[in-house]
Amino acid sequence: MREITYAQALNEALRECMKEDERVILLGEDIGKYGGIFQVTAGLLHEFGDKRVIDTPISEAAFVGASVGAALTGMRPVAEIMFIDFTTVCMDMIINQMAKMHYMFGGRGKVPMVLRTNIGAGRGAAAQHSQSFHALYVHIPGLLVAAPSTPYDAKGLLTEAIKNENPVIFVEHKKLYVEKGPVPEESYSIPFGKADIKREGKDLTIVATHALVLRSLRAAEEVAKEGIDVEIIDPRTLTPLDKDTILKSVEKTGRLLVADEGHKTCGVAAEISAIVAEEGIYSLRAPVQRVCSPDTPVPFSPPLEQSYIPDEKNLIPAIRRLMEYT
Amino acid sequence: MLGITVERGKIVEWLKKEGDSVEKGEIIFIVEVEKATTEVESPATGILAKILVGEGVEVPVLTVVGVITEPGEELPAKYREPEVLAGEEKAEGEATSSATPEAKASAAPRAVGGAVKAMPAARNLARSKGIDLEAITGTGPGGTILVRDVEAALKGASRPAQKVSTLAARLAEKEGVSLEGIQGSGVRGRVMRADVEARIQKEAAPGLGKVIPMSTMRKVIARRMSESASTAPHIYFFTDIAMDPILDFRKEILPDFEKKYGLRPSINDFLIKAVAMNILEFPILNATVKEEEIHILPEVNVCLAVALSDGLIVPAIANADRAGLVDITKQRKDLVDRALAGRLSIEELERGTFTISSLAQYDITYFTAILNPPQSGILTVGKTREELTPEKGDIKVVKVATFGLGVDHRIVDGAVAADFLQNLKAKLERPMFTFLNL
Repeated sequence: MREITYAQALNEALRECMKEDERVILLGEDIGKYGGIFQVTAGLLHEFGDKRVIDTPISEAAFVGASVGAALTGMRPVAEIMFIDFTTVCMDMIINQMAKMHYMFGGRGKVPMVLRTNIGAGRGAAAQHSQSFHALYVHIPGLLVAAPSTPYDAKGLLTEAIKNENPVIFVEHKKLYVEKGPVPEESYSIPFGKADIKREGKDLTIVATHALVLRSLRAAEEVAKEGIDVEIIDPRTLTPLDKDTILKSVEKTGRLLVADEGHKTCGVAAEISAIVAEEGIYSLRAPVQRVCSPDTPVPFSPPLEQSYIPDEKNLIPAIRRLMEYT
Repeated sequence: MLGITVERGKIVEWLKKEGDSVEKGEIIFIVEVEKATTEVESPATGILAKILVGEGVEVPVLTVVGVITEPGEELPAKYREPEVLAGEEKAEGEATSSATPEAKASAAPRAVGGAVKAMPAARNLARSKGIDLEAITGTGPGGTILVRDVEAALKGASRPAQKVSTLAARLAEKEGVSLEGIQGSGVRGRVMRADVEARIQKEAAPGLGKVIPMSTMRKVIARRMSESASTAPHIYFFTDIAMDPILDFRKEILPDFEKKYGLRPSINDFLIKAVAMNILEFPILNATVKEEEIHILPEVNVCLAVALSDGLIVPAIANADRAGLVDITKQRKDLVDRALAGRLSIEELERGTFTISSLAQYDITYFTAILNPPQSGILTVGKTREELTPEKGDIKVVKVATFGLGVDHRIVDGAVAADFLQNLKAKLERPMFTFLNL
């Protein structure tokens, strides 16, 4: 199968959906002429015109609010927010409007929109452009939260997000945009709430999200040399979360490491750990380990940023700690 | 509420098989708890559908050990696999290894949580197999018990229950020899008569240079005595008590007492009564420490230490403050007899609130004793000796015994202890007045 990047895969999903359904429109800052800060919307303005690919003013509250309204009145808007950091300026639109309308209108109105954004440190973008607080949206009922880690998942999940009748926070990862992987040329969608086993193993389970999936795969190859057989579960969507696949894997391995780039406290990893403690405690042969970002802002200094980012340097010692309980 | 907390019990024998019908109140198994064995009655009428904990397995109290179903009722799903957890809500008609309601209430949290560090999966495995975590050495970080440790213990424990030939069993019983740890020489390790004879010979050998596994009773004594010695700071007080008055008093009433009640009260019986009455004046000596609270106990149950061939047991005379001498004498005689026969109930061992330990029959002048936890006072009695004492310019021979009082200094101070002992001395030296209202 041909290989394309994560950004190209997202671009393909958008193009296919726009071709298929004229209600699909794109809104965002610099998504038209410039093609988006990560080139996810490159070429789409030229192909679909400025009625469907709208370069908005720098007012996230305005264009997210406009998207909610458009969705309520029958469109299928896909809004892009350059960095998840900027969703803070349109929090009312997301949490009080986008997430609530369907519920508050007793199901008589729906908000089939997608809000694309991204997380991740590692581009020297400092504390206001590098955050990974996607857990905030997992916390809010009424929102679906997708978290693709590969080009294949990116295309399939975005297609599903656009076709879904519910509001979706589509959380990309800025370090993954350039990662290449096999992607089918035809359109396809990946159902929400179905985790993917990225690597099968029997000794311990890593539930990893976003870039931590790739980093875990590399760590797994490293420790495989010591005979440690790691299984890697990628939930792919955080809401809904595929608890069954996680619990089944932990039941098999008895050891759980949760790896997520969000802050450790009250994060996705905390939630998954709690689920396993509640529903799978008797499978645990070792204490649960979490590999996350520290509870500090993302540093600008490149050496500090490298030290901040959770990756193999944190994963491998955590795996070894788990294997002490063998 | 009172006394020792029973933590675990071992099922010595099931008197019913799976599939047998049982009547409510019928004895269905015998459990050995700490120092005593107790017969356990069926809590319901029905069919003993499943035995979950087999003979010889030690489990925490509140562990469901068997399931009784109504005739025709199917065994509940959760019992089809051996995954019963301690402390779970119980279905109707389950038999537990706990002997008294008090023991159930106080032991529950211990059974569920416990100080043992074990991974949940290991804990679960141990529970489902009826293995005691405390008996397992953890090999994980910080001594944590891992699944593999339980598996190792399982392998060790999974050898079939000891098989013993009838002759061997009879001989062992006759000679009072334990079969524990005997490697049988018969088919599939069956313990034969010759094996028991060999053990008898070995035990008869001079006492040096051998390793003796601790009996259950010895383990309990070891644990409880070190727990008491390390948690309760002991202080001791001694006084000489003139014994002529109480000895004379006993001699005086004995013929009539015997004629009327057919009982011979011993000096100990007078002593138990005097101590119980003394406690009413010093209730702090009838107390137990619970964290930062002093619990003054509602009953005065005086324990009497009874020496056994292989240990020591301390049954309690119930309500000794209110009981008359007849009752005390009866209770004491019955308890001592059954203590020697190893047939005391848990309640009789647990209800004690104060202990008397007497070595009056030995040539011991006085001695100290470790408090019987969780009690706060223990009285020791040395031999009665003759002493010369000046009296009105003359010299008189008097009988004297040295009494010792050991107390828990956390809650009993020296002055209080001294008062208690002095007051007891006054009671014993003026028996007429003391026992006036009996």
